[in-house]
Amino acid sequence: MKPSGIEMSEVSVRFDTPDGAVHAVESVTEHVPDGSFVSVVGPSGCGKSTLLAVISGLQRPSSGAVAIGGKTVTGPDPSIGVVFQEDSTLPWRTVEDNVRFAMQCNGVGKGEQRSRAREAIELVGLAGFENAYPTTLSGGMRQRVALARTLAVEPEVVLMDEPFAALDQQTRIFLGAEVRRIWERTGQTVVFVTHDLSEAILLSQQVWVMSYRPGRILEVVGVDLPAQRDPAIVSSHEFNELHNRIWSVLQAESMRGFQQQEAARA
Amino acid sequence: MTVHAPNRGGMPKRLLDNQFVGGLALFIVVILAWQLCSSLTFVIPAPVRTLEVLGANLTDASYIFDLRVTAQSVFQAFLIGTLLGGLIGLGLGLSERARLWFEPLLVILNGIPKIVLYPVLLPLFGLIGAKVAMGVLFALFPVLINVATGVREMPRVYWKLASAVQANPWQKLIYVILPAIRRPLLAGLRLAVSLSVVGVVLSEFFATRRGLGRVVLQSYNHGDYPVMVATVVLLIAVAFVISILLWRWEKRLR
Repeated sequence: MKPSGIEMSEVSVRFDTPDGAVHAVESVTEHVPDGSFVSVVGPSGCGKSTLLAVISGLQRPSSGAVAIGGKTVTGPDPSIGVVFQEDSTLPWRTVEDNVRFAMQCNGVGKGEQRSRAREAIELVGLAGFENAYPTTLSGGMRQRVALARTLAVEPEVVLMDEPFAALDQQTRIFLGAEVRRIWERTGQTVVFVTHDLSEAILLSQQVWVMSYRPGRILEVVGVDLPAQRDPAIVSSHEFNELHNRIWSVLQAESMRGFQQQEAARA
Repeated sequence: MTVHAPNRGGMPKRLLDNQFVGGLALFIVVILAWQLCSSLTFVIPAPVRTLEVLGANLTDASYIFDLRVTAQSVFQAFLIGTLLGGLIGLGLGLSERARLWFEPLLVILNGIPKIVLYPVLLPLFGLIGAKVAMGVLFALFPVLINVATGVREMPRVYWKLASAVQANPWQKLIYVILPAIRRPLLAGLRLAVSLSVVGVVLSEFFATRRGLGRVVLQSYNHGDYPVMVATVVLLIAVAFVISILLWRWEKRLR
């Protein structure tokens, strides 16, 4: 069988800091099936963003390897799209030119850039804002621009690092539903990092719970909810059960992380 | 601007909030003060007299030649100073180690009165080269410091983005770094224009064959104050106009 999806084998990342080595990610061996939607949750300060950076090729693992579609990741690649937590729109470019930026760097032809940019802008619901500058848009709209820029390259894998963390609750729920809708259409493999449990359950097929340092995957929870989900599902019995199950693991971890940070400060 | 403040104070209030009107009023005050000063001392010619002399000068072939010599040196100094400052600034902004090593040296170099180096530059670069070199020394630092600071203070997410989309070094420079530092860069250029004029004209005061600095000094020696003041006014006016244009461009940036 042809290898597919994202294959992580014994991935570890250690940082040397003045206070000693930090094991951000420790021996993670997991598989993200092709075309699936996986969320990673964990206490703040755990290595979830670092793990995502390793998959994206932006961060080299201290040991171990990641393969996408059977090909080992050695650095950033057009087949891997990343959406960052921070506002990454370029304020001197219009929405359309922002969306074209990644394609420009990848040497996509001008005409192709234009049509794919228009398509991606349409997909994220920003049609009509092609010529607007990011400074005139809300934070949520800017994250849509960043998403469109990533999607326009047509990557196999889309990695999102807490993309809605800086947004208000309503916008977050709304954009989450948009991401889910887009994923249903494009069928890309998505890894979504978040600290919001409800968001993770609502969006994904699998939720990975990560531990505080050293960052390990403690539990992989399958989300057995119908494919067609609307935000009202959060009040269902099944959702609550999942939420409680993940929260019980996460709570203990968050407590441990909190105590470690306090101890380090003392 | 399309936004109007509520028109409470009527027409005069709106006029007073207009920058152009304010600038014009200030200009008139300066001219009046100038007129007043010129009646107190014979050194300062009246504004109208200065304008006449300036007009006469600008039709004089020899004066135009001096003007061209100075303009050429200033232009060269500005160009070289900006390129050199931009490149060094880029290097210091990109490399933490380079910054660590060179920052003390640059602070010292920027701190010394550069004109004291002129006697050293003269034999090194010759009469023409030395004043360009002096202009470069003056123009260099504002560009260098602004570019280095601008690059260092670029949002970190731009670097991550550039890496993630595999921008090559040239694309990083053209698509990300230069536009990201556009404001400090332009502010630096604005200073570099005025300072390259200062460097060149100051050098011409000391030793040169041709140039407006020499015209000023010569007319001073001959007691020909109208020519001296008219030339100084010309220098100020040119630097002023360029600064205003760059400043307006700076304000229009996103």
